[in-house]
Amino acid sequence: MPEASAIVCRGLGRSFGVRPAVAGLDLEVPSGSVFGFLGPNGSGKTTTVRMLLGLLPPTSGTVRTLGLDPLREGTRVRAATGVLLDQVGLYDRLTAWQNLEFAGRVARLPARERRMRSEAALRRVDLWDRRAERVSGFSKGMRQKLGIARALLAEPRLLVLDEPTSGLDPVNIVMLRDILLSLAEEGRRTIFLCTHHLDEAQRICSLVGIIQAGKLVALGAPDQLGTGDRPAVRLRCTRLDGAAAASLRLPEGATLQPQSGEGEYRVELARAEDVEGVVAALVAAGAGVRAVVPERRSLEDVYLSVVGGGEHG
Amino acid sequence: MADLGTMLWKEVAELIGNRRFLRIFALAVLIMGLVPSLESRHAAAGANPLLTLLGLFYALFAGVIVVAQSAPDLVLHERSGRTLEYLLATRLSDSAIFAGKVLVASVLGYTSTLLTAAVQLLATNLQHHGAWTWSYLALPQGRLLILGASAALCVYLATVGTFVALRVGDQRAAYMVTMLSLAVLAAPLLLNLVHLHFTMSWLERAVALLGGLAIVLVALGVRLFKRELLVLSLQD
Repeated sequence: MPEASAIVCRGLGRSFGVRPAVAGLDLEVPSGSVFGFLGPNGSGKTTTVRMLLGLLPPTSGTVRTLGLDPLREGTRVRAATGVLLDQVGLYDRLTAWQNLEFAGRVARLPARERRMRSEAALRRVDLWDRRAERVSGFSKGMRQKLGIARALLAEPRLLVLDEPTSGLDPVNIVMLRDILLSLAEEGRRTIFLCTHHLDEAQRICSLVGIIQAGKLVALGAPDQLGTGDRPAVRLRCTRLDGAAAASLRLPEGATLQPQSGEGEYRVELARAEDVEGVVAALVAAGAGVRAVVPERRSLEDVYLSVVGGGEHG
Repeated sequence: MADLGTMLWKEVAELIGNRRFLRIFALAVLIMGLVPSLESRHAAAGANPLLTLLGLFYALFAGVIVVAQSAPDLVLHERSGRTLEYLLATRLSDSAIFAGKVLVASVLGYTSTLLTAAVQLLATNLQHHGAWTWSYLALPQGRLLILGASAALCVYLATVGTFVALRVGDQRAAYMVTMLSLAVLAAPLLLNLVHLHFTMSWLERAVALLGGLAIVLVALGVRLFKRELLVLSLQD
């Protein structure tokens, strides 16, 4: 019986000396979801991943991965998890096939099963024809694809991908993103995706968390994060001067703020459906309503607002 | 045991693809095998196996070189090749990772010693028909040292080399400490605390003692090796 949450962190923290790398992280990733873990370099993403896999013990708080305690049941956690780390970690002296053979042996798959799965995995990432070549001759894109194939070989319940598209050219980014999208659509496993590519997170992830200085500063579905705490609309009106705008009878809790463009306003609402009341008030005041656009910030806007726009990577 | 087998498979597959190591291995075996056989003229004259003992030391030394080179290399290659974190993130146990490295380095050293002895015997026989009868291998002491002492010595050095490489993370330091650990073994002899006797009973006790020390070291290494320590070094 699969657990409801693949990952549960409660007050999770890890310090190195006096420096906290992760501090009081509260996080719950539902099983079968694609979770995007965003944050600048050095924000604590890798340390969190290491704690999830039982490679580092936390100095405070608790963590459960796939319902297990990674510290005491690290072997079981790692057996059920496929990883593509920041350093892909392929063996250069081995061929692509041998790298998968090793992963299959690690997963204790029978020989026949190893062969079948290795072939399927290599075909999926379009490397079947290069299977007998040593990895040392592979491009960055081929390595990333082989890394994904290796991570998927044992059909893990949790897939941890750390910057899978980092350093790739646009063609390979699209190719790898398609693979990730197809994995996400399958919905058979939980994907924990650390990425710097905000558009990638927006497209692929069902849930996004932003970490900064070891603390989770935003959490939600990419679309929800974009709407902020209160819904808002942008208006373009004619025949509405300052005095008329100030005397509008807006729905309760709604506020109207003039914007820089002529006749442009931003209205914050208590509830999304209050937009009808706003339009009615404008019409009643004799204004001409030319456009009403729900405000939706991109994930990049959200990211920059919570991270501060300093280091963006 | 399955995990250990997996580690062995990977290490052997990597070694086969490591031309530099294969060259060092072949050179060590050929040089240590051929040089003493050129000296065998004197032994042939006296037909005394004790005179060929130099060959025994050459054979043991071939194993020492190979172990001292390969034990740290098997670990440090994981660091330089950036595969260490992947290896630690697999379900392989700490003991399988450590024991796998030690076992492969030990077997390589032991194999090089045996191959060196075989090359010595072959080369000497090509020069002098019937050389077997006056080779050190004709003596039970010689066979005990080449088959028993070399195995214990290789395990001892491989354990030290692997553990130091895991903790220190530097090839030269690991190599130096491994060679220094050899000097530690020889210290009682050099300081005249123990006198070397070439009798079977004395040698059997010495080999048993060295073997016991090697086994204790492996057990200690398996107990002390924790992947968390390596992850912390990666974190730095």
